[in-house]
Amino acid sequence: MFFRLLWESFRRQRRRKALAGLAILLGTTAVTAMLALATTIGDRIHKELAVYGANIVISPKADLLDVKIGGVDIKPSTGGSYLHESDLKKLQTIFWANNITGVSPEFSMAGRMLVRNTATGGPFDPHVIWHWNDLRMESPETFPVTATGYWFHHPFGQLVTGAPQLHPWWKLQGRWPVERSIPSIHAEEAQEIVLGSALAKRLGLKIGDWISMGKEIEGDIVGIVNTGDATDQQILYPLDALAPIPQFDTNGKQVGQVPIDISRVDVSARTKPEDAFARKDPDTLSPQQHEIWYCRPYANSIAYQIREAIPGAQAEQVRRVEQNEGNVLERISGLMWLISAAALLAAGFAVSAAMATAILERRAEIGLMRSLGASKGAIAFLFYAETGLLAIFAGTVGYLFGSGLAAWLGARIFAGDGAATVGPVLNPVLLPVVVALALIVAIAGSTPSIRTSLEMDPSAILRADA
Amino acid sequence: MTDRTTHKPQLSFIGMLRRSLVHRRARSLSALVALTVSAAVATALLTLYADLNAKLHKEFRNFGANVVVTVPTSGSVLPPNALADIQKTAGSDALIAPFGYAVATTDRGTSVVVAGTDFGAVERLDSWWQLPHWPTAPDAALLGDRAANFIADEHAVKLTYAGRAITLAGAGRLKTGGDEDSRIYIPMPAFTKWTGIGPTVIEIQIPGGAAAVEAALTRLRAQFPALQIQPVRQLVEGESRIVDRTHSLMYGSVLLIALTVAVSVLATLSASVLERRRDFALMKALGGSQTQLMAMFLLEALVLALAGVVLGYIAGSAAAWGISQANFHTATLPRLSVLPLVLLLNVAIAALAAFFPVRVLRGLQPAALLKGE
Repeated sequence: MFFRLLWESFRRQRRRKALAGLAILLGTTAVTAMLALATTIGDRIHKELAVYGANIVISPKADLLDVKIGGVDIKPSTGGSYLHESDLKKLQTIFWANNITGVSPEFSMAGRMLVRNTATGGPFDPHVIWHWNDLRMESPETFPVTATGYWFHHPFGQLVTGAPQLHPWWKLQGRWPVERSIPSIHAEEAQEIVLGSALAKRLGLKIGDWISMGKEIEGDIVGIVNTGDATDQQILYPLDALAPIPQFDTNGKQVGQVPIDISRVDVSARTKPEDAFARKDPDTLSPQQHEIWYCRPYANSIAYQIREAIPGAQAEQVRRVEQNEGNVLERISGLMWLISAAALLAAGFAVSAAMATAILERRAEIGLMRSLGASKGAIAFLFYAETGLLAIFAGTVGYLFGSGLAAWLGARIFAGDGAATVGPVLNPVLLPVVVALALIVAIAGSTPSIRTSLEMDPSAILRADA
Repeated sequence: MTDRTTHKPQLSFIGMLRRSLVHRRARSLSALVALTVSAAVATALLTLYADLNAKLHKEFRNFGANVVVTVPTSGSVLPPNALADIQKTAGSDALIAPFGYAVATTDRGTSVVVAGTDFGAVERLDSWWQLPHWPTAPDAALLGDRAANFIADEHAVKLTYAGRAITLAGAGRLKTGGDEDSRIYIPMPAFTKWTGIGPTVIEIQIPGGAAAVEAALTRLRAQFPALQIQPVRQLVEGESRIVDRTHSLMYGSVLLIALTVAVSVLATLSASVLERRRDFALMKALGGSQTQLMAMFLLEALVLALAGVVLGYIAGSAAAWGISQANFHTATLPRLSVLPLVLLLNVAIAALAAFFPVRVLRGLQPAALLKGE
């Protein structure tokens, strides 16, 4: 009997059910979409914020001080301590290794560029020569040019990473060099290189030209990069490619060689925005507190773990990036959560109002059932069962619609930079949450109407509303 | 019909409206609440949305300078009054900090970059600098975290530049994770007096997005052709991208929520109007014309909608203020400019809610309805 009543109610009152169902459907669609967007917004904005570059920098523990102004080395240091490329593998062993999304080591070599053909006295030699730290080249015909070794698309554990990833604002014409030696045309060895745009302009070189690097190495220009900073004046070459570079004194005598090592590593890591606890000095914390600090992905704790893993390395958070990224991330996701809450409230209100109306419309039915001898409990149960079925059904459909909508919105808004694909379209955790919310709101919305309808005298209802 | 209304003024339009609203108090109240919610949600979201760009750009101001002005060749100096002129050209709300650089030698014989600057300006521009307190003394020296390791006495910092020695009062260590860590910062007057070098780099922060920065760049380049003026590209581009995307996200959310609430309110209102079939039939039986009845329903809905807008505007502005205060720690004041849109939305919902059932009812026979069929 109960099931027949239930079934008939759905079959005969299609318009009313559709109206209430529509309200629940729309409400859950909006809430699911907002929640799905709010839960992924952190990752999406983090990916957008990657445009600011590294948030952690590793450098050799200084026994020499950088003398840099505006990104240009004023007094290039010779010797000194470096990190080794083999050390970088240790980054994959730290506790938060999986949070590291990009690694870009670099090795900058100060040198001088010969621009005038000394033999002919001509104004410009197309095959300009660049020499590293060769004192013989300090003459008016030369000017200082730094060559920096980078990774371009370098495999690193699960990642393929390098300078282009950590400097997304660099604009490249042509392509990045491949990281292996290539067949040489003009010299014994050849290496693909990229020139900074200002340097290329100054030398009048373009893609396809070549420069001489040292005596035996030919640099084939495969790209020209515009960076908007001091790198525009530099030569960029693959870090793996160069052999140790000989060093000469003023008489042209070789005084040793410098191995290609790493003078700085930019690291991009997913971090938790800094709070008061993150700023604590880990060495002053109690062992339990230290453990908690260590196991949270703060920039400070990741830097601490890097220092532990690579002896001789100094890792620091880049405060300009890290401090402000955290703020922006917090504000935007906070906004999304608050708006989701507003959506939840509004949808809840709309749904419960619709449910209340739906019940009020059926007072006559309630009066009739009561006059035919149905108990209050039985009637309430029937109505709650109807409401529950409707909420579960419409809630599930709304969840599907909302998930689709969130995926579509996310893909549209964050199109074209990899941030579009964050997680699967359907978030299974949201389904029970959303359906439970729909149930609670629908039942809560219909309770007052059911109660007042049940408390009214059936004869009064039946007489008043024919 | 005209006669009837003049003979019986108690059944005037306004009177009927008042009675209808007062008599069915519960029904009117629930319709009013529904319309208030829709107006409140629209007001809150639109107010937040209108204020979003300003709020986000304000967050991005913390990233520091987005334009750098440099003197192109070493040895040349900025024209006199350059700072004031640049401030004037960049706009009064731009933050400007001058820097001058020199390579000096520490008491341990290490070369170090010493920068002269205006600490008051840097404090506002580079809020991420981590230091015990901003120095105020005219001979204060702020030591970069790395640079400090090359100084024997951190309290009386002895530096030499071109044979001229100077002793400065150490003001603590500075930590940024950038190039600043390898430098020593001192006040500009002391720096110029000691080295004879004036400011050679000016860092500027132009508030607003890429368009504002671009406009300021054009103005600056036109006025100072001799200077090299560069945007800090990653900051300008990143800011625009993130602000644009958040903006679109909000736009999508606003549309979604407004639509949901509108349809739900519409459904509720329509149901309540549909329920008044008997009123409708009675009025029609008493000789009300179709237009009159529709005008009656419509007017009732409009009165409710207007009341909803008034209440909803207040509630929604309060909600926007609360959300903004909780999230951005600055208030969003009520905006009158959102009112027309909210009004339009609410009136449209109310009008639709009144029209939709009337169309359904038109075909009904009053006699059949009154008989209870």
